Amino acid sequence: MRSIRWIAVLAAFVLVLAACGDDDGGDTTTTAAASGEEGGDTTAAPSDGDTTTTAAPLDEPATLRVLVHSQEPMTTFVQDFSKDFEAANPGVTVDVSVVGAGDLATVTQTRLSANDVDVIDMFGFANPVQDYMGDATPPAWQTLIEAGLLLDITDEPWVQNYDEASIAQAGTFQDRVYSVNLGRTVYGGMFVNNDLLASVGVEVPTTWSELVSVCEAVKAAGNECMTNGGADGWPVFVGTYGLLGALYPDQQGLVEGLYTGTVKWDDANTAVLWDRYKVYAQDMLEAGTTGLQHDAATFRYAAGDVAFLPTGAWQAPNLEGEAAFAWSYVPFPGSDNAAENELLFGKYDQGWSIAANSPNVDLAKAYVAAFSDPATYQEFVDVTGFIPTQDTATLNTTLGQSLASYLGNYRVGFEQFWVDPAGAGQWANGSQGASWFQPFNEWDDAAALATQAQIDLQAALDDL
Amino acid sequence: MAIEIVKKSYLFGRGWKSWTPVLLLLPGFGLYMLIGFGPSLATAIYSFTDATGVRGAPINWIGLENYDEFLFRGLASRDNLAALQRTLIFMVVVTTVQFSLGLLLALLLNQQLRGRTFFRTLFFLPVVLGVVIQGLMWKLFLFPGGGPVAEVFGAFGIQSEFLGGAPNEAFVWVMVVQIWANVGITMVIFLAGMQTIDETLYEAARIDGAGGWALFRDITWPQLTPAINTNFLLNIVGSLQAWQLFLVLIGYRPGTQVLGYLVFAEGFGQTTGSVSGAFRQGYAAAASIVLFFLVLILGLSANWIVQYRERKYLG
Repeated sequence: MRSIRWIAVLAAFVLVLAACGDDDGGDTTTTAAASGEEGGDTTAAPSDGDTTTTAAPLDEPATLRVLVHSQEPMTTFVQDFSKDFEAANPGVTVDVSVVGAGDLATVTQTRLSANDVDVIDMFGFANPVQDYMGDATPPAWQTLIEAGLLLDITDEPWVQNYDEASIAQAGTFQDRVYSVNLGRTVYGGMFVNNDLLASVGVEVPTTWSELVSVCEAVKAAGNECMTNGGADGWPVFVGTYGLLGALYPDQQGLVEGLYTGTVKWDDANTAVLWDRYKVYAQDMLEAGTTGLQHDAATFRYAAGDVAFLPTGAWQAPNLEGEAAFAWSYVPFPGSDNAAENELLFGKYDQGWSIAANSPNVDLAKAYVAAFSDPATYQEFVDVTGFIPTQDTATLNTTLGQSLASYLGNYRVGFEQFWVDPAGAGQWANGSQGASWFQPFNEWDDAAALATQAQIDLQAALDDL
Repeated sequence: MAIEIVKKSYLFGRGWKSWTPVLLLLPGFGLYMLIGFGPSLATAIYSFTDATGVRGAPINWIGLENYDEFLFRGLASRDNLAALQRTLIFMVVVTTVQFSLGLLLALLLNQQLRGRTFFRTLFFLPVVLGVVIQGLMWKLFLFPGGGPVAEVFGAFGIQSEFLGGAPNEAFVWVMVVQIWANVGITMVIFLAGMQTIDETLYEAARIDGAGGWALFRDITWPQLTPAINTNFLLNIVGSLQAWQLFLVLIGYRPGTQVLGYLVFAEGFGQTTGSVSGAFRQGYAAAASIVLFFLVLILGLSANWIVQYRERKYLG
């Protein structure tokens, strides 16, 4: 009996020791990656066009940890490129982790804090807090830079492969570069089923009134006007960014105006915005979009009986593979003045950043350098349909042909400038207003919602 | 008066050996301090800072500012208090329905029914599924454009947007899924309690002419006290802390958040509807302390009721 007691005590002691010792246990990935540091001066060699780049030979095998958000076909391209990079760099393993776009910020934060990632897909690098925003909380990427977690890549030669505007607007903070942006994307427009419009006998609308008429004609012919990914929430309001842009072409000015009080969500000029949000949400979008997720909506649209899909141009590659009809992408005709509907709003999409504390910094640089090679980048643009951020790249896809005449009118949209003021109510960001109308939320009265949006914003502004 | 002499027993021996139980408890205690109490204490401390959760970012002591913002600043406080109210409604409805339904199922499946093992398994099955699986299943069930529930509703002329529609309606459906997902464990605890009740009590009562309701009221209900108390507390605490289903089924949408989800969304930049949110873990910590006190107050109240019942029925 006594011996059993002592065995129990001993077992408990061993368990405690085991628990204490587990810390060092073995993230073999980390160990392998750490060895890569000794790889030393790993500089990217110019690509010969086969998308591979060779880093300097490694003394020991190394694992490069890459984090990317889920967005086909971009994700598949990154995975294929990583395999090529492995083949060109014996001893290197590229571990690509794919997470949902909504989870990217969270996973980036946790993995950077745990020093568990080397190359990061930086998303939403655009809207730093401005002086007039008071004590608004900085966006995540700004916090990461201020914490010293992103590598300063200002002096890397491959940074210069990208155009000046993208470096300045989507990679620079306080005069230092922390990210190279891989492409502009457009979200202020809509896909148009040209065959369907032709069969109904109507033209592609260029004004709001024409859009309303076309929708009526399309529906009268037994088809649907628009579809969207309402189950995800954000596609509903992203679909109206073009509407907001048509009414307020200077989106940065709109943000500043809302903060300083020269523009109000419920002033006379803005009333039309809320009325059109309501028409869009209740009359134009087909029934059942509340249950459709973003990607599913594209496949629904590809069925061919819906005239328009108002969403980001990033869905073009999916549509190219699925749609059996002729389509194009045009700015959302939010204004009754056709000239005001020529603008195309968008944002800087995915970019690459490198973890400052990565044990594989040189390998990470070689990876991004290889990706930034003009030949590789052209393949990336061909696959993803992003509007290039390298001057040498061209957009050769169906989408590219659609957008060619509008690219001179490209502007960065509201989302990239807006930061919620501290204390703002949930209706304060009126750019999301379309998703607050029934059937997506509780509102039905456009004027009442506009008033509420201003009240929710003003309550925070009064505290600035 | 008889004097009773009680001989003290020493399971682990006398002297220093009597400390053996303490030594045996130490690993568990240490583990609790490490992964239970430690983070809780850190959360309380974080709630007085502007921590972002990002390693290397400066952390400043800001006193009660997070609490002030959460409870009083602008109209965000209105939304936070609405989330608090929603949390309470969720707790009351889920606890009431889950408790009652679990008891009813246990009563039915404690009878000598054909196929009762199958039905016990069937009702318990959702418990072993993960939240994500539960959520995805119900998203398919509740697809408004031709999902099975929409078809059934349609047969009665009812149209619904389910999870993607009006916030109150979406909220009700999350409660339905929460109850479906957890009623199995409530049922099993009741079943286990029922199987400990001495059958002779029922036989004696039947001989005295007791009917079904009298048997339940005077034997089953009092004898189930330990199971009732356990389920009562588990249901209250579980529903107060629920947030994962909100994440999977609805996401961050105005008018649907409960406090638990608000804590996650604020802490990890999920509140803006875009991918460029801010990390506000100090603020989220303050929200979680508010939630903690809510759980504490309701938990203690429930515990008081539970102990009162135990004294009343079990002595």
